[in-house]
Amino acid sequence: MKIKAYHLVILLVSVILGVMAAMQFKSSSEIIDANIERTEKMAEKVEAKKKEIEELKIKVDEMNLQLQEAAESPEMYALNQQLITYGILAGTVEVKGPGVKVLLSDSEEPLKPGQDPSFYVLHDVDILKVLNELKAAGAEAIAINDERVIATTDIRCGGPVIIVNKNKRLAAPFVIKAIGHPDTLYNSLMMKGGVVEQLKFWNIRVSVQKADEVIIPSYPRSIKLEARLGGSISG
Amino acid sequence: MWLAIILSLLGVFFGWVLGMKIPITLPEEYTLYLGLAVLAALDSIFGGIRAWIEGIFDNKIFLTGFFSNILLAAGLTYLGEQLGIALSIAAVVAFGVRLFHNLAFIRRHILEKLWPS
Repeated sequence: MKIKAYHLVILLVSVILGVMAAMQFKSSSEIIDANIERTEKMAEKVEAKKKEIEELKIKVDEMNLQLQEAAESPEMYALNQQLITYGILAGTVEVKGPGVKVLLSDSEEPLKPGQDPSFYVLHDVDILKVLNELKAAGAEAIAINDERVIATTDIRCGGPVIIVNKNKRLAAPFVIKAIGHPDTLYNSLMMKGGVVEQLKFWNIRVSVQKADEVIIPSYPRSIKLEARLGGSISG
Repeated sequence: MWLAIILSLLGVFFGWVLGMKIPITLPEEYTLYLGLAVLAALDSIFGGIRAWIEGIFDNKIFLTGFFSNILLAAGLTYLGEQLGIALSIAAVVAFGVRLFHNLAFIRRHILEKLWPS
C-alpha cells in the first residue's frame, strides 16, 4: 500500500481530535470531581461543626449544672458570707442595720472673760474618743458626717474643722452613725464617767439616739495599695 | 480505503493517550472552547467522510476546513462571551445539524451498498 498525502492528513487530524477530546474529557471530569470533592468536604466540615456544637451544648449544660451545685454548696455559701463580712469591714459596701446616731455640737454657753474658747468646742480627740467607745462596744460600721470610717481612716485637727480620711474636712455639728446593737452602743456611750459625761462637762451638746435602721454609705473612693512596703500576703 | 480507516483509528487512539499523558489540565473557563473545537473537528471529519463517499474529497479543503471550523467555533464562543450572548449555542446547533445530516447521508450510502434496492 502506498502512503498518500491524504493518509498523513487523516492521521494528523485524528491525532489532533484525540488530543483535544482527551484534554476536554480530563478537564471536565476533573472539574466535576473537584466540585464533588469540595461539596463533600464542606458537608463533612458542617457535620463536624454540628457535632462540635452538640458536644459543646452538652458541656454547657453540664457546667451549668455544676455551677448550680457549686452555688448551692455549703462551701460557696460560706465564701459568699465571708465576702460580705469582709466588704462590711473594709467599707466597700453600703450597710444598713440597727444602731445609733450620735449628734455632737459645740457648746453654746457664753464665754466667761479670760476663758479659752477652745475648751468649749469639739476637737478631733473628742471624736476619736467617741469612735473608740463605739468600736469597743462592737460597732460594725461607722461613718462621721457620712464619711465612712475604714481601716486606714485618720482623724486629725484641721483648725476649725477636723480632717478625716486624709483630706475630707468635716465641721461641727457632727453626726456619727454606727451599726451595732443599739442598746450596747447607747449604754457604752452614756455610762457613768464615760465619753458623753466627759463632753457634757465642757457643755458640749451630745445626743445619742437609738435607731432601727441606720444607713452607712460605702467608702466612695477606690482603695489603692501602691507601696505595700515590701510586705506580702501571708497565709 | 482500509489504510485510511486504520490510520484514523490509530491516530485517535494515539491522540487520546497523548492527551491523557500530558500533565496540563485546561482551566475551567476554557473547557467550553475546547468542547466546541472537538465538535467542530468531528463535523469536519464527518464532512470529509461524506466527501470521500461522493468522490469529491480534497486534501486541502479537508485540512483547511478542519482548522477553520475549529477556529471559527472558538472565535464565535469568544465573541459571544464578550457580548454576553451565548453564541456558542449557534456553533453547537450548526455543527450538530451538519453532523446529523452527514451521518444520515453516510448511513444511506452504506445501506444502499449493503442492500441495493
